[in-house]
Amino acid sequence: MKDLTRRGFLGLAGAAGVAAGLAACAGTGSAPSASGGGGAAAGGPLQFWSNHPGTSKDTEAKLIEAFQKANPGITVSLIDGGKNYEEVAQKFNAALAGGQLPDVIVASDVTWFNFALNKQLAPLDDLLAAAGLKTDDYVDALYNDYKFNGKHYALPFARSTPLFYYNKAMWTAAGLPDRGPTTWDEFKEWAPKLAAVAGADKVALQLADGSNYLDWYFQNMAWSMGGQLSKEWTATASDPKTVAAGQFLQDLAKNKWAKFSKSPDAEFSAGIAAACLQSTGTLGGITKNAKFEFGTAFLPGDGACPTGGAGVAIPAGLSDERKKNAVKFIEFLTNTESTVTFTQATGYMPVRKSALDNEAEKAFLEKNPRAKVAVQQLSKTRSQDNARVLVPGGGARIGKALDQIAQGGDVATVFAALDKETQAAIDSQIKPKL
Amino acid sequence: MSVMESSALGAPAVRSGPPPPVGPPPRRSGTDRREWLLAAGLLLPNLALLTMFVYRPLIDNFRLSFTDYNISAPTGANSVGTANYVEWFGRDDTRTIVGNTIIFTFATVIISMVLGLALALLLDQKLRGRNVVRSLVFAPFVVSGAAIGVAFQFVFDPSFGLIRDLLSRVGASTPDFFQDSTWAMFMVTTTYIWKNLGYTFVIYLAALQGRRIDLDEAAEIDGATPWTHFRRVLLPQLRPTTFFLSITVLLNSVQVFDLIYAQTRGGPVGTGTTTLVFQVYQETFVNMRAGYGATVATIMFLILLTITFIQVRVMDRGTKA
Repeated sequence: MKDLTRRGFLGLAGAAGVAAGLAACAGTGSAPSASGGGGAAAGGPLQFWSNHPGTSKDTEAKLIEAFQKANPGITVSLIDGGKNYEEVAQKFNAALAGGQLPDVIVASDVTWFNFALNKQLAPLDDLLAAAGLKTDDYVDALYNDYKFNGKHYALPFARSTPLFYYNKAMWTAAGLPDRGPTTWDEFKEWAPKLAAVAGADKVALQLADGSNYLDWYFQNMAWSMGGQLSKEWTATASDPKTVAAGQFLQDLAKNKWAKFSKSPDAEFSAGIAAACLQSTGTLGGITKNAKFEFGTAFLPGDGACPTGGAGVAIPAGLSDERKKNAVKFIEFLTNTESTVTFTQATGYMPVRKSALDNEAEKAFLEKNPRAKVAVQQLSKTRSQDNARVLVPGGGARIGKALDQIAQGGDVATVFAALDKETQAAIDSQIKPKL
Repeated sequence: MSVMESSALGAPAVRSGPPPPVGPPPRRSGTDRREWLLAAGLLLPNLALLTMFVYRPLIDNFRLSFTDYNISAPTGANSVGTANYVEWFGRDDTRTIVGNTIIFTFATVIISMVLGLALALLLDQKLRGRNVVRSLVFAPFVVSGAAIGVAFQFVFDPSFGLIRDLLSRVGASTPDFFQDSTWAMFMVTTTYIWKNLGYTFVIYLAALQGRRIDLDEAAEIDGATPWTHFRRVLLPQLRPTTFFLSITVLLNSVQVFDLIYAQTRGGPVGTGTTTLVFQVYQETFVNMRAGYGATVATIMFLILLTITFIQVRVMDRGTKA
């Protein structure tokens, strides 16, 4: 028994360590300090946590430099918050549990609401008013995406929409007009011609998979066919029109007209796909990498384009002084001049109405008709369904269902299960806090 | 302590010198106290750290598993009783996730140990350049899982990857490692085995180099075949090492997160490569259900505890046999 005890102790201690590590992941439920953390606690520079959307790190640094010049006495540190929006949110969650808060975070269309609902983001309306800053110049649809209970919790920053990208040479070879399809039915007619032109190793349409925002692009398919993923706080993926959209997606996959991957822009840029759906934020990357002539077009289905991307927000737990400086910074980051600089560098959309009257922006759009398409599509956008953007885990949940459909799962059954999960999350995690 | 000890050749040897004293040892209270104080002085700081950073979070995790704690609301957890546990046992994806965990863990434990032993046996020989090969085999173990995960995406990518290139040369099509659940599991398992091989190899190599040469010589004199030599002479000596590796590799494998995150994010189809530890992350940080995540962590702890207990018993029985 002597050996057993020693080995047993070591083994059990090891296993306990495993659970302890996991417990540490879950946090311990401590509240953040009232005075804020990070830069705030130290009285140091404002900490701006960003994932640098659209590989914008250099552009962000340039904007920070301009802000510091215009506001002597306030300095800003640009901190890598993760490689995508979700990682910034996870890091912010860790900060909430640990009490060391940043001053400004990039909050995506999918992540901001959970923080606002749990009172972890500062409402900006009063802060902006106190600083004498106006908001009527922001594009209304983009600014109101962050509205909850009559207050705004972020300012639009790296805002995007999906775009339809197409390879002009393949389009010509298939005998198609030099434009995107106006409806998904039209694309279905074009798909066999494109597939024939593309050949065995290539594909007519490359789409993101369920782990990489297929749920965002599917909003367009569902809306263009009259469906919705939810209506307010009721899950509606089982609606016959949404099911029809799911069936359409499955048909694209079954007929090998569409393939799914992690980053469709890579396949498109390599000439493997005749078309792809991607964010306006990847326009810069595709322009750089594609060695052929390509065009951009509105998404099929008039008025069925979702907005997306991210805004900038301020944690609620900061001191008033820090909030005052932080709101000055986020307003500067999204003012007319900054939005012109940012959008030209990345392909994201201008978030200010006045940006479109800016001479530099006008000249840029004239020179870059593909970017102009993205800006023109802005008037055709609508805010996404709550099931995707406001319900915790919504994107991943819908993505999983779409993966199942793409791989041949029964659409009605998959969407019925999705509705059940979505509604359970709404009823348990959101409704009690509304 | 026994008066009989084994000699180097395994034959019993009679211990020389006077017989051990009989009866209780003389009381040495001053020395005892000093020893106790020394032991306490050495142990207490470690126990304090263990309590603070291991056992307290463990208890905290257990407490949170009975709440609806949202990771974004650090002070707003409500008690939900055993609802999280009932949900876990009743959920459709539980069987898939437990199955994934079992497949991933046991495949990595068994294959990396078998291959590690084979490599150790090979590189235990006096071969030219063996030190270089030893370093190369060990190198992946010290690279971070996230970095390896990203690098191996370029190996497995069905559109641009190395495997696609190799298969296309022989006219074969490439499996879609990122969309097909079976192939995705193959990809993460293979990648982790490759990373972990250096660890099992080095431990086995150290054990082989510390073995008793006289037994090898005796086996050679007896005319044992290589297989008999391996099975009857080497393997029994490697038993404690195998036991040690089976526990450490199992504990490491079951906790793999970074590699899965980098390669598949737990997908495809939502749970294609989701293991229990990945589910903890998914529920806690994506679905914001830290209470439910704590439940999964607790269940995982109990499973590991049981497996470790069984391993210890089996090993103990083997040692006594």
